Amino acid sequence: MADHLQELRARVFLRAALPLVKVVAAERPVYRKFLFKAGGVVQFAARDSEQAAWVELGDGTIDVKQGRHDAPSITLTFGDLASLNDFFAGALKAPSISGITGMPSLVRLLPFLLKLKMLMPNVIPEAADEKALKVRMLLYMVTNALSQLNKGGDEAMVKIVAKSPDRIFQWTVENGGPTAYLRMKAGRTKAGRGTYTRRRPFVHMVFPDTDAAFDVLTQKVSTVDAVRYNKLRMEGAMEGGKEIGVLMQRIEALTTGG
Amino acid sequence: MAKAQGLTWTIDDADHMTQAEIYGEVLTQIGQQNEKVVALTTDLAKSTKIGKFDEKISERFFNFGIAEANMIAIASGMAETGLIPVVSTFAVFASLRAAEFVRTDLCYQKRNVKIIATHSGTSFGQAGTTHHCTEDLSVMRTFSGMTVIAPADARETGKAVAAVIDREGPCYIRIGRGFEPPLYKDMEFDFEIGKANRLRDGTDVAVIACGPCVVHAMDAAEQAAAQGVSVRVLNMHTIKPIDEAAILEAVMDTRRVITVEDHSVIGGLGSAVAEVIAKSGKGCAYRMLGYQDEFSIVGYPDDLMHKYKIDADGIMETIGEVLKAEFEEDEDWEDED
Repeated sequence: MADHLQELRARVFLRAALPLVKVVAAERPVYRKFLFKAGGVVQFAARDSEQAAWVELGDGTIDVKQGRHDAPSITLTFGDLASLNDFFAGALKAPSISGITGMPSLVRLLPFLLKLKMLMPNVIPEAADEKALKVRMLLYMVTNALSQLNKGGDEAMVKIVAKSPDRIFQWTVENGGPTAYLRMKAGRTKAGRGTYTRRRPFVHMVFPDTDAAFDVLTQKVSTVDAVRYNKLRMEGAMEGGKEIGVLMQRIEALTTGG
Repeated sequence: MAKAQGLTWTIDDADHMTQAEIYGEVLTQIGQQNEKVVALTTDLAKSTKIGKFDEKISERFFNFGIAEANMIAIASGMAETGLIPVVSTFAVFASLRAAEFVRTDLCYQKRNVKIIATHSGTSFGQAGTTHHCTEDLSVMRTFSGMTVIAPADARETGKAVAAVIDREGPCYIRIGRGFEPPLYKDMEFDFEIGKANRLRDGTDVAVIACGPCVVHAMDAAEQAAAQGVSVRVLNMHTIKPIDEAAILEAVMDTRRVITVEDHSVIGGLGSAVAEVIAKSGKGCAYRMLGYQDEFSIVGYPDDLMHKYKIDADGIMETIGEVLKAEFEEDEDWEDED
């Protein structure tokens, strides 16, 4: 069995990062061309873990599900979960492949997987639309990954969530940018898209525009400087923001090597 | 040295004066500036501190003996002549014994009379249940046109008295016996009838309190903060007209609301807040702290506040309870991807 750290990393990759292929398809019409008359299921798995995920390709559609598919078109099985994680972190890892007839589906999926590399800290796009895409993907990944830290039993996150009343951590990129939130309540978490409207956030991190969000999320500027130079506005409980900031660094550590 | 708005008594004075004494001082100052102001009482000049007015302006001070209803009726007549009568007696007598006269002679006639009701809630502790008054907010609130105020401490009482003199129509201010702990450290705070003061911001729970319970709400919020719980505290000094915007903001921001009052939970602050929430159609977990359809027992005020859970300990206990309460279905904890 894979160790706890690798299980946690896999949760982040399979449940927080891999689903972002849907964002790529939604935001980049050119990628949807790869899905023209597509059909098939591409599965990712490891020999030493029950964690697995599969991507379902349809004619112009793409979806991601967790667990094992009954009849995948093609399965990429890694020797261990650490290898699967390294693969998603950008390393060259060769899985065993079963279901050679599903190879066309894998080929169609590859451009999406390559686009996920945009999440890596060392990928710094220059074009405005690419920056916007990176910001959107990072926000969605971070909120989901934070929730997965709790659901996967990360000690620090579980401790925070266990004692938490019903709280919302909201991220907003103003001027038409993405919004996402993390809700936590007495041991449970939920990552959501959009603005949570049922109560005021415990912490609200507001970026005035995409460029500001990009600079902060890619750590071009520190949080302190971001606040000083109006690239980030923290509303609500500052101590909560600090706590989440530490956990966000933990996610980066997990996705870049554990 | 800072002074209250239009008043000559000072912060240093306030540190050595009780809630009732301050109102007596303020009223006297106002009376010296405004010849229309007259003071009336019912053999309680010393206890209610309105006697200070008598010491300085005896020609405009009237004692009616133990005859509260008569006093209210005469105050109504005085107001009709253009005077501004300020009547003072124990809350239990002003709101219950004289209730019909307050309703018919003051409110129905829209008379410009101010009632300063002392010894409200259980502040008269050992005097016993007969002299406690845990129904006055409820009674007064039902009278059309009545303004109802429950200041948090002596300094706020001073501002409230000054404010009601400037406000046309019948007004009721309820204060304690005079030994309540101070909330405000100086006079540098806003007081506007009908506008709650947000003393502390928070997003986990909102505690809406009035009168002496506000100090306890602040204590509880401090304790909660030490445990990582963010509590908003609203000083809802005006029960009528109530600050609906502040209540709804608290509901929307926290979804967990606790009201605290030295009064029955039926008809007082808790009911008033609940009416606003119900009218809005917004949901929240809600608890009302006060006397739960029961007569208060005899005892020291502090002990009674503890027993009835309207002190910091009781509020803390309820904060813990309300944090666990559900206000909506929480079945969906699946992450959106």
